[in-house]
Amino acid sequence: MATRLIVNGIDKAFDDFQALSNVSFTIEPGQFVTLLGPSGCGKTTLLRVIAGFLEPDQGEIFFGDQVMNEVPPNKRNTAMCFQSYALFPHKTVYENINFGLRMRKIKVEEQEKRVREVMEMVDLVGLEHRKPYELSGGQQQRVALARAIIVRPEILLFDEPLSNLDAKLREKVRVDIRNIQRSLGITTVYVTHDQAEALAISDVVIAMNKGKIVQKSDPKTIYNHPSTKFVADFIGSANIISGTCLEAAGSTAVVNTSLGILQVQNTGLIQGDTIFLCIRPEDIVPDVSENVLPDQNVLTGEVLNAVYMGSSLDLFIRMDTQHIVRASVAKDTWVSEGSQIRFIVHPDKICIMKG
Amino acid sequence: MKRRKFEWGYLLLIPGVGYIMFFVLASLYIMFAQSFGFYNYTGTSEFSLQFWQHVFSRTFFDDLWFSFRTALLTALISIIICYPLSLILQRIPGRKTFLSILKIPMFVPALVASFLIVNIIDYHGVINMILEKLRLIDEPLRLRNDAAGIGALSVQIWKNVPFQMIIMYSAIEAIRKDVRDAAANLGANRFSILKEIIIPITLPSALVAVIMVFVRTFNDFAISKTAGPYYPTSISNLMYLHAYTFADWNTAACIGVMMMITSIAFVSFYSYLSKKIGN
Repeated sequence: MATRLIVNGIDKAFDDFQALSNVSFTIEPGQFVTLLGPSGCGKTTLLRVIAGFLEPDQGEIFFGDQVMNEVPPNKRNTAMCFQSYALFPHKTVYENINFGLRMRKIKVEEQEKRVREVMEMVDLVGLEHRKPYELSGGQQQRVALARAIIVRPEILLFDEPLSNLDAKLREKVRVDIRNIQRSLGITTVYVTHDQAEALAISDVVIAMNKGKIVQKSDPKTIYNHPSTKFVADFIGSANIISGTCLEAAGSTAVVNTSLGILQVQNTGLIQGDTIFLCIRPEDIVPDVSENVLPDQNVLTGEVLNAVYMGSSLDLFIRMDTQHIVRASVAKDTWVSEGSQIRFIVHPDKICIMKG
Repeated sequence: MKRRKFEWGYLLLIPGVGYIMFFVLASLYIMFAQSFGFYNYTGTSEFSLQFWQHVFSRTFFDDLWFSFRTALLTALISIIICYPLSLILQRIPGRKTFLSILKIPMFVPALVASFLIVNIIDYHGVINMILEKLRLIDEPLRLRNDAAGIGALSVQIWKNVPFQMIIMYSAIEAIRKDVRDAAANLGANRFSILKEIIIPITLPSALVAVIMVFVRTFNDFAISKTAGPYYPTSISNLMYLHAYTFADWNTAACIGVMMMITSIAFVSFYSYLSKKIGN
């Protein structure tokens, strides 16, 4: 059932607006891949091109070895969960779920068996005769999911399916989606602008901006080693600092930044390189010890604000250079606003991005 | 049990609702009373069933059937034209211009529309002229005031298609694109999308359009007077004839009551049907 999806050099423009520019990637069979980016970055357009609702201006879509460009949406064997769920308002839950099987002219006994199985899988038993307007948002979402997976698609597509759910339900449903996808092993493309959702659910995250792919990595890599300023800023919170390489020898390099002189890992830097550094707030550790190891960056600043976030305490620290740094520390850390704080940033926690 | 407090705000409805209800109820009362012999302007005002006896004649039933048939055919043929037209218009470029053009007949008064069309279907009208020039006919066809009422039917359809178009175009437009996309994504071809999604969702609107055109056409006077056959004629014409030619307002009132009953029966049928579809 699982199919390799190849997107090769896709361009798509709407009048003067270039929605997609030379987009290429491959998704391995059974992988769960998320297209992540801000509104208008082209992720939904790309999903609609894959589904066949939009024709690309250039490039090819392959399902396995087969070029799909000329194949109409109803013959592609994809199934899509829409942001609005797009349930058929005049049909019952049962009829909605069974729709794809009827269109595929599956035998009636088989239809009944599969609907029963899928309804059990998504926990909808007992709601067969309800109309969509009689269901809660979460239940509607599950009907949309059941309707998509029942046809055993080669590619499963999700267009921001959780955006209409409340935060609590969103977390639950995304775990359900991931578990069901794993158990069925369907190649899945999931569109979202929610970075936490993307990191939690995906095998691979593809970050998009202005119609282009800016990074394709597994969630850990994309978070810890963003390749561009945009990715670092868009995915999670980040302190992004510009700097110039003063010295690069061996495994460490010394960089002059707006925070002061910092030691970083040498990733092939050359003296004089202009770079950007990304430091995640949770990688800034308040220093309470007297002994400082020589390879650590020790910095001091004044705590401007301490914001209690529940699971952590967010500190906004003004450095001597007037630069504001955000740090996320343990929730029970004792810090008062206006006090001086000394903190450590380990060189391997500093990510280097080219300017 | 707690008594419900009177909402003084309802009094604000009086200028609007009161004005409408006064004329509706007053004219209904007069009409019913006249149908049973009261308010007789030319004779004794007293209870009588003789006017109802006049009504149930061959002429009345012929006219009733003509009005019913014209109204039903107009409503059905218009919706048959309207459905595909609304679907096509959703997709083509310049649809706003087309829609504006198609709405023109709606703003032409029925009498003017009738005269305009009569010029086309008349004995020496444009259609007969073209058919003769093409040597398809030897002598002009009788299209106006024809016994079958095809002339009146043509004008009614011309006048009512735009009216139904407004309802049907909006109903089809209101179906979200992603619902249609979802159907296509699940394997439905264009015909299946039409059959499974568009028609069932827009059926209640189509029903409204059919009923409204039926009632409008059933009660029509101007078009049947100018383009319709001399016999049978529409029931509105019969009513006019009794009231103004024979000065028999009581029989005219009986016909009015029958028109009301038919319209109410149709609206009730619509309510029943829409509930059934809704379930």
